[in-house]
Amino acid sequence: MMRITIARAVVMAAACISVVPLAAHAQGKFPSRPIDMIVNFGPGGGADQIGRAMAKIMEPILGVPVPVANVAGASGNAGLTKVLTSTPDGYTIGTMTGLTISAWASGLGKMQIPDFSYIAIGQSSPSMLFVPAASRFKDYKALLDEAKANPGKIRVATAGYGTLDDIAVKFLGTQGFPMVNVPFAKPGERYASPLGGHSEVLFEEPGDVVQFLESKQYRPLVVFAPKRHPSFPDTPASAEFGQHIDLPNWRGVVASAKVPAEALATLRAAAARALDSPEWKKLCAETYSCIDRMSPEQTLKFVVQNSADVTRFMKEYGMVK
Amino acid sequence: MDALAGFGQGIWIALQPLNLAVMVVGVLVGVIAGALPGISFVNAMAIALPFTYFMSPLLAMLFLGGIYVGGVFGGSISSLLVNIPGDPDSLPSCWDGYPITQREGPERSLSIAITASAVGGLFSALLLSFASPPFAKFALSFDQPEFFAATFLGLVSVLAIAKGNLLMSLVSLFTGIVLGSIGTDPLYGVSRLTFGVPILDNGIDFVVVMIGIFAIGEVLDALAARQAAGFAPKHKARMRVLRPRELWALRGSVARGTGIGSVIGIIPGAGAAVGALVAYGIERQVNPRRREFGTGVADGLAAPEASKNATTGTALIPLLTLGIPGSAAAAIMLAALTLHGVQPGPLLYTKSPDMLYAIFASFTLANLFMIVISVLVARGFATLMRADPTIICAFILVFSLVGAFGVRNNIADVYICIAFGILGFYMKRFGFPTAPLVLGVILGPLAEGYFLTSMANYANDLTIFFTRPKSGVLMALAFGFILWALRPELGRLVQRLRR
Repeated sequence: MMRITIARAVVMAAACISVVPLAAHAQGKFPSRPIDMIVNFGPGGGADQIGRAMAKIMEPILGVPVPVANVAGASGNAGLTKVLTSTPDGYTIGTMTGLTISAWASGLGKMQIPDFSYIAIGQSSPSMLFVPAASRFKDYKALLDEAKANPGKIRVATAGYGTLDDIAVKFLGTQGFPMVNVPFAKPGERYASPLGGHSEVLFEEPGDVVQFLESKQYRPLVVFAPKRHPSFPDTPASAEFGQHIDLPNWRGVVASAKVPAEALATLRAAAARALDSPEWKKLCAETYSCIDRMSPEQTLKFVVQNSADVTRFMKEYGMVK
Repeated sequence: MDALAGFGQGIWIALQPLNLAVMVVGVLVGVIAGALPGISFVNAMAIALPFTYFMSPLLAMLFLGGIYVGGVFGGSISSLLVNIPGDPDSLPSCWDGYPITQREGPERSLSIAITASAVGGLFSALLLSFASPPFAKFALSFDQPEFFAATFLGLVSVLAIAKGNLLMSLVSLFTGIVLGSIGTDPLYGVSRLTFGVPILDNGIDFVVVMIGIFAIGEVLDALAARQAAGFAPKHKARMRVLRPRELWALRGSVARGTGIGSVIGIIPGAGAAVGALVAYGIERQVNPRRREFGTGVADGLAAPEASKNATTGTALIPLLTLGIPGSAAAAIMLAALTLHGVQPGPLLYTKSPDMLYAIFASFTLANLFMIVISVLVARGFATLMRADPTIICAFILVFSLVGAFGVRNNIADVYICIAFGILGFYMKRFGFPTAPLVLGVILGPLAEGYFLTSMANYANDLTIFFTRPKSGVLMALAFGFILWALRPELGRLVQRLRR
C-alpha cells in the first residue's frame, strides 16, 4: 500500500514537472493557473457544501486546482464583495445563494443581480415545516387548526427576521394562521429548540436536517411550493391548502459580470459537466436539492424571477428597510 | 452493543497504527496551533477540513478531534510562558498561571495546567463515551433563557477578576460589549455602529480583538520597553504530570472546574472560553485563598484549565447523539461527516456503533496523548522563547496578522487587529484592564442573541429567566457574584446609613 502511494507520488511529481513548461507555454489559454472558489458562508453550511463539491468535481474538468476559501459575513455579501473586487479574469468564482439575494431585497448592501454572471445553479431546495416525531400535530391541517384557534401561540423556530423563514411565517399570518417567529442565529440551536420542547415547529430546507429525518427525530408537515416534492410524496404542498407561495432555497456559482465571455464560457461548460457527474447527482439527491440543468438565459431568468417573488413579499410585509 | 464492550472494541480500533497515528498528528497540530498566538485551533480545524476529504469518516473525526483536544490545551502554553493567550479560552489561565511562572518557574505552572486539563478532558471524554444519551436529554432541557443566564454569569464573572479596580473593569467590559455589537446584527440584518464604514459591516470578530490586544499589544509593549528579558523564561520549561499528592491538594478546584466545564460544554456557542471564565470566577468566590487570587494561586490556574478541557467531550454529545453541532469546532466535524455521507445523530448507535465507539475511545486516548505531546511542544516553545526578543516579537507579529486574516479570510480584520494592538498597548500603559474588554466582545453578542430569542420565544416575558429552574439557579449565582463584588461598597453604604 505504502509502495503504491510512493509510486503514485513519483508519477504525480513527474506529471507536475512535465506540466510546468506546458502551463508556461499556454499563457493565453484559460485556465492556466488555479481558480479561487470563494464560499460566501462559513465552513459547514449549505453554501460550503456546494462550493467545495463543485470545486472538487470541476478541478479535473478544468485541469487546474480550485482552492476553496470561506469568506463569511453580512448574509454572504462579504464573500461576494471579494468576488467583485478581484481582477475580473475568471480566476475568482464564488458561491451565491437565494438567501443573499433576498438580503439585498431587504435593503442590505449595494449589490445587484446584474453585477454577476451566473455560471450555474446547482441546487434548489424546498422550504418546509417540520415537527418533532412526537409532536401533537399529526398533519399540517392540525397545525393550521390550532394556529387559528390560538393565534400567536405556536412558535416557529427560524433563521431570523428578514429571511425566507420570516416571509413564510408572515404569509401564514395573513392567511389567518398567526404564529410566532422565534429567530435563532445558529442552526444547531434552532434544531434543538423544537426537539427539546421549547418551541413547536421548525422551518428549514430538508437537506439541512437530513440527519434528523433519517433518524426520524423530525417529520415533515408541508412544503411551501406549488406541488409536492418528489422525495416527499406523502407531504402535502402548501398550494393544496390554497396557500400559493413558492420559496426555493437555491445555490449556485457566480463570477463577476466583467469576466470576459471566453473565460465565462469555459467556466459554464465545466460547471455543466460537473452538474451532470454522478458525484453531483448523488450529493443533490442526498440533500433533496436536485434541479434541472438550465441554460445561461434560463438561469438568469430564474434568479430574477425568484428575487422578484421575494421582493414582492418583502414589500407587502414591510420588510424592506 | 453493551457500552463497556463497545468501548473496549473502540480502544482496539483506536490503537490500530493508522488510526493512532492520525489522532496523534491531530493532537500535535492542535497543540502547536493553540500555542501559537494568533492561530486558533478552530482556525486549524477549518484549514484541516479539506485534508479530511481524502480520509475515511472515522479518520476524519480522529484527526479533527485530536486538533480540538490538543488545541484547547495548547493555548495555555503561551499563556503560561509569555502571558499571551494562544486562544480565547486560555485567557483566564494567564491571571494566576503567569504569576506562578514568574515566581516558581514554568515547570510548576505547566505541570498544574496539563494535569488539570487532562483530568477535566478525561472526565468529559468518559461522559461522552458512557453517558451520552442521558446527557443529551439533559442538554435538550436547556433553552435560550438558560444559555442567556450562563452567558450572563460569564459576563458577571468579570467582576471577580476586577482586582479592586471595579469601575475601570466595568468601563472596559461595556466598551467590549459595544464593540461586539458593531456590524450587521445577526437577527434583523441591520447595520449598527458602522458609521457607513464598509469594513465594519462584517462586525468585529472577538478572535481578532484578542489577537490585537494581547499579542500585538504585548509585542508593542515589549518593544517600547526595550526589555530584553521580557519573554525569556529563566528556567527550562520542563513539565510533568503532578504527583497524586500534589493533585490531591488541588482536588477542590479541579473537581469544580471539571463539573462546570462538563455542563457548559453542552451549551452551544459558549464553549471552552465561557467554561474557563465561569470556572475562574466561581473559584474566586469559593476558594479559601480567594483573597490571594491574581498573585499566582495554584487553584486559580487549575480550575479554568480543568474546565476548558472538560468542555471538549460534552460539546460533542449533542453532535453525535442528536446531530446538533454545539460549537464552531463541532460544526466543522459535522461538515466532515456529512461530506462523507455520514449523518450524525441517534442512528449512529445502531448503524455504525463501531465507528462511534472508536471515536469515543480515541477522544479519551487523545486526552492522554495530549500530555506527552504538550510536554514536547512546551519544551520546543520554551527553547524558541530564548531567542532574541526582537526576533520573537517579529514572529508573534507575523503569526498575529496571518491569524487575524485567517479568521474570515478578510483583509479588513488585519487592519482591525492592528488598531486593537495599538489600543491594547495604550490600555496596558495606562493600567486599564484589557481582559474585560475582550470578554465583552466575546460574550456581548452571545448574550444579545440569547436574550432576543428568549424574548421572542416567551412572549417578551422578562421573568422567564428567573422562573425556569435551571436558568433561575444560574441567575441567582450571577446576582450572588454581583453582591459579592459590591460587598465593600455596600458595607460602606450601610455604615454611612447607620451614621
